[in-house]
Amino acid sequence: MNFIEKDQLCSFLEGLSGEYRVFLPAQTGETITYRSYNGDTLDENSIIGKVRSWEPLKAFYFLGREKVADNYKPDMPNVDSKPPCIVGVKACDLKGFRILDHVFLDEEYGDPTYIRNRKEGLIISADCTESIDTCFCCAVGVEPHPSADYDINLTEVEGGYLVESGSEKGKSKIDKYSNLFSEASPDQIKGAEALRAHVKESVNLNIEENGVPADEKLSGAVEAKYDSEELWKDAAETCVECGACNTICPTCHCFLLYDQKTDSGHGRFRIWDSCMIKDFARVGGGENPRARLWMRLRNRFDKKFDYFPNVTDVIACTGCGRCISACPGKIDIREVLNRLVSE
Amino acid sequence: MKNPYRSIEAEVLEVTAETPSIKTFRLKPKEDLTFTPGEFMEMSIPGVGEAPFTPSSDYKVEDEMEITIVKVGKVTDAIHELKPGDTVGLRGPLGKGYPLEKFEGKDVYIIGGGVGLAPIRALMYGLFHMRDKLNKLVYRAGCREPSELVYRDQMQEWTKRDDLEMRITVDNGDDTWDGHVGLVTTIMEDSDVDFSNAVAIVCGPPIMMKFVTFKLVELGVKDEDIYLSMEKNMSCGFGKCGHCRLGTFYCCKDGPVFTYDEVKEFPGIWE
Repeated sequence: MNFIEKDQLCSFLEGLSGEYRVFLPAQTGETITYRSYNGDTLDENSIIGKVRSWEPLKAFYFLGREKVADNYKPDMPNVDSKPPCIVGVKACDLKGFRILDHVFLDEEYGDPTYIRNRKEGLIISADCTESIDTCFCCAVGVEPHPSADYDINLTEVEGGYLVESGSEKGKSKIDKYSNLFSEASPDQIKGAEALRAHVKESVNLNIEENGVPADEKLSGAVEAKYDSEELWKDAAETCVECGACNTICPTCHCFLLYDQKTDSGHGRFRIWDSCMIKDFARVGGGENPRARLWMRLRNRFDKKFDYFPNVTDVIACTGCGRCISACPGKIDIREVLNRLVSE
Repeated sequence: MKNPYRSIEAEVLEVTAETPSIKTFRLKPKEDLTFTPGEFMEMSIPGVGEAPFTPSSDYKVEDEMEITIVKVGKVTDAIHELKPGDTVGLRGPLGKGYPLEKFEGKDVYIIGGGVGLAPIRALMYGLFHMRDKLNKLVYRAGCREPSELVYRDQMQEWTKRDDLEMRITVDNGDDTWDGHVGLVTTIMEDSDVDFSNAVAIVCGPPIMMKFVTFKLVELGVKDEDIYLSMEKNMSCGFGKCGHCRLGTFYCCKDGPVFTYDEVKEFPGIWE
């Protein structure tokens, strides 16, 4: 197991910034948001551990708004010169890749930006060093420390970070900058294990306090309650149809294609869309299979807890809790899940 | 890497008014573009938007295609303004077409309604090309009133063909109409089709598809032999944008043609 000191991590990122656009989390008021690595030292606001950022990881791979066609030209416009390197990614966001890869990584119709960023990008993930009250990852098959889908993982310990490579690409980066790394001591490894156990315990305490049903109980739960109109109506009562739960979700992948005139003629744009919005499923002729708000909320749960488990064997919820924090109507996914299994 | 969002250019060669609200556009794609019956295209007006349509022409005519479009909203309003010489965008073909090879050796029973007669025209051309491999070929077509019947001359010609047993009905007649009057379900039992060994193909408004499907089941057609054209909000065309989900399927990628057997358990299929 390798170890890197805080100052050396800075040199590592500096080196990587030659071939990647490096993004690093930073404390911004009460939340953690990503900012572009500016080549200076990591400052007092830089965050490696703590918890997930405010924005979901998908924002770097499946862009919120992207021009996808310029007139009738065959190539994708606006291709970034360098692929992204995202630092401090948490396990909940990594689970998002299980869904997004399923959707966007296919041979015939794969999304060119997503494919390029996944293949050429670098993920330097990190263990959570704490939990916040909306965290419930352990209820949906995630532990608060990365176990897959990273190139390099950092675990915060006294004076620096334990470093694990999770891919050939990650290993080659560590080898390339091997002078920055040293062998981790048994005490550091022990410290990391203790940290993992502690954070996991605090997430499980959250889960218990909020009555979040565990993974196995969720299987089939939406299907079983599909016709319980009252439950869905109650859950949707305070929804304001803003779509924040969709845009903030690391697994929500739906998008809208729209065409508009541009300075050079016309272009096609792809933006994140929301299944909570009235016209999402409406057809050209005017019929709308989900004309009522509660039907759209039910559809959101159906997609995450029934559709994806059926087609790819993964619940499309990562337990990141972002939708709970983002919802102006205070709809709490944990409460809805609880009602699904208990009523 | 292929860009799945990009349209190719096509020139509008001819515009035919079929009814007051339906026009057929004959298009010449500027790059190779072929399709099979039932596959669909995303057609766009530059800078305005795109929408899904199933071509209505003979797939063996490879350098041109016809698309019949009813005027219902922003994109189709703009499409209806097109004149010969204008340029549109085409993206596709998308989805899965009719599995024509499965129809071999069977009676083929087709029921279409309204603008659903357009995709069926492409299917009919396909079936005529393989006519000697089919048993009986029966077509029941309906629309609300005579002025809403698309391809009226061609349809009436088809009623005279020896290799097709075809009838047309309108829900409400007028003095230009001397044919049958009544819903399409009223002319479904007057053929000697062997329903237990038939495939049925249904394309039309959801309410019509619902009652026709129930009738077909009653007549003895197996659920897996009833082919339905499902209408959902298809946008990207390849199962990623999420708008047209139908249970565990995406209408655009896994359809838009489904067997009744595939979709009957999903809630809201007729909505």
